[in-house]
Amino acid sequence: MNTIVALLATFPIVFFLSLLFEGIDRKIHARMQKRIGPPIIQPFYDFIKLFNKERIIPVTAASGIFTAVPIIAAAVSILGAAIPVVNLITGTSIVGDLILVLYLLAMSSVMVMIGGSSSGNPYGAIGFSRKMTMIIAYEIPMLISIASLSFNPCSSLAYYDVVATQIRMKSLLAFTRFSMAVAAATFLLCIPAAADAVPFDISEAKTEIIHGSLIEYGGPYLALIKLAKAASNFALAFLAATLFFYVPALFEGYVSLGLGGALCLCLVTALIFMLLTITVPRTIFARLKIGQAFKFYWLIPLTLSMLSVALSIVGL
Amino acid sequence: MRMYMANESDDAKEVKVDYTRLRIPFGPVHPALKEPISLRVTVRKEEILDVDIRLGHVHRGIEALAENRNLVQALYLVERICGICPHSHTTCFTQAIEEIGGIKPSERALYLRTLIFELERIHSHLLILGLIGYDIGFETLFMFCWHVREDVLDLFEEITGNRVHHAMNTIGGVRWDLPPHLIEKVNASLKKIEKSAKYINNVFQDKTVEERLCEVGVLSYNEAQELCIVGPTARGSGVSMDVRRDYPYAAYKELKDRFSVVLRDGADAYARTAVRISELFESINLICTILDELPNGSISMEESVLKLMREIPEGETVSMVEAPRGELLHFVKTNGKEGLRRLKVRTPTLANILGLKPMLIGGEIADIPVTLASIDPCIGCANRITVVDEDQEEVRVIGLETLRRRGRKR
Repeated sequence: MNTIVALLATFPIVFFLSLLFEGIDRKIHARMQKRIGPPIIQPFYDFIKLFNKERIIPVTAASGIFTAVPIIAAAVSILGAAIPVVNLITGTSIVGDLILVLYLLAMSSVMVMIGGSSSGNPYGAIGFSRKMTMIIAYEIPMLISIASLSFNPCSSLAYYDVVATQIRMKSLLAFTRFSMAVAAATFLLCIPAAADAVPFDISEAKTEIIHGSLIEYGGPYLALIKLAKAASNFALAFLAATLFFYVPALFEGYVSLGLGGALCLCLVTALIFMLLTITVPRTIFARLKIGQAFKFYWLIPLTLSMLSVALSIVGL
Repeated sequence: MRMYMANESDDAKEVKVDYTRLRIPFGPVHPALKEPISLRVTVRKEEILDVDIRLGHVHRGIEALAENRNLVQALYLVERICGICPHSHTTCFTQAIEEIGGIKPSERALYLRTLIFELERIHSHLLILGLIGYDIGFETLFMFCWHVREDVLDLFEEITGNRVHHAMNTIGGVRWDLPPHLIEKVNASLKKIEKSAKYINNVFQDKTVEERLCEVGVLSYNEAQELCIVGPTARGSGVSMDVRRDYPYAAYKELKDRFSVVLRDGADAYARTAVRISELFESINLICTILDELPNGSISMEESVLKLMREIPEGETVSMVEAPRGELLHFVKTNGKEGLRRLKVRTPTLANILGLKPMLIGGEIADIPVTLASIDPCIGCANRITVVDEDQEEVRVIGLETLRRRGRKR
């Protein structure tokens, strides 16, 4: 019961943090392009603005699915982002909650995809097929990289267990074992695709298929989908920062750091990872084609994830 | 909750009937398009099976309008055909008028025309290079190219007083001189632009950019010749043509040996991009030469433009220039009473747009924007011919009065 209350209490925090992260991402992206960029709280303005706009449902859309999808997407991705944060604060977790989190995050992408295809727009259909291909490409390496945690004798698929292991060893998981370093690399490589950032924003390529699945969405629905994306980006960065690089574990007097200090350190690490995996690629690369992206994910991250499992089993 | 009608019911029907073939409307409103053009693209999954190109969304009736104006007014009107190559249009038009009237502008005026012409080429090429970057999802390249382009626009402002519509040309010469302190400024700016152009050249060698541009939108040498493709699009397919060299105008007769025509035989979007990048350097060199060899003298005729205009006899001629996008042709027929009997403009985009079909068929959906951008289309320039009535499937010319009436109704 307490956990549920804590989860609900974390929702506004996640809402705030994920939009703030998006604002920072946009600002730094702009600065790297020699632009001034929007104010950091621009995503909040956007959210409020979109919520005050009229709701438009195309006549060709299956209106039930079309309207339900953004709400589900926003709810599951905020839940997915809230679970690790709550677990870190309360210091408890249940076995297998990592798998739950990853599926909640994947669920939000699937929901947006379904919403696009239910809109009756041909671009939505193309967006659906492209996103489907991308999900197959990146979800498998991502899941394997997380699953390889469980092959490790000292960690499990419970989120806080992995964090606790790092505190106990006073080291970052990615630096303790070679297999974990490989798993971390895989996870980080998968983040841009999961976040739909250039070079892997193929499913919602603005200049090619006019945002694909999002094409018919506007107003409050678009606000919710944008929130879902921001929350899942935040969750991915936060997971990468705490699962593989739990920086507070490096500090001698871990307890003296306090919960607030530890959380702040985690957020800063998460921000750095988000900048490295989302902002920088989307500034310095051109968009790939679907075939090229698929080939990349099945050549490098999939091989790396297999390698990390194999190394974990061997015990490296 | 308000609903809106699905725009084109025939498209919706086709989606229902055949699931493997999907007809997607690419335009007239699309984020990759800066101007409205409609491509009806039939696709199977990602592969393009057929393309139907429809023009006519930005018909402005400029040719008809020009016939109701006197020559000087028409000169300013012609400048408004395009916001990117206005100087090409005015040069082409004034050349025709000067030919009919037997007016010979001074050497200095011709050199200054050429100078603005080449600056315009730099600005136009930077613009399209940026847009190609944007179309392949490389926003930073887009921002950078347009940042560099600002320098050129500033130069335009310094020299002519205007950033976009320069209004540099006048019958019998140019309107603004280039004082010595500006020459230094132009030189300094060009050095900066050259440095940035080298950087842009490097960025276009980037692997993700190459992957998106190589083997995309292939237009073979033979196809390019058959379809009369012009400009950098043709030169990217290895067709050696350049009005500046073949039918020199303005100061290009004297500068004939000072520039080379850039040719690439890759025939794909990358080759066309490479031609444009190399032409940046050619233009920069050419401008430096012009600045060094700028002859002395007056820049315009002694008589006023209005007096010159009154003396233009009845006659007709064809004038050609090499606009940044390719061969631009004006057919001008004067009526001997200060006005025009007929003005016909054949813009490079009208020639190049025919090449889109062979370029696109067999490609992927992802290639449409970049293929379109690689011919550097200027739809506003190309839409001055007829109005196509799609409902009644007939082609007719709508007169200016009708257009005006319709304009008032709204």
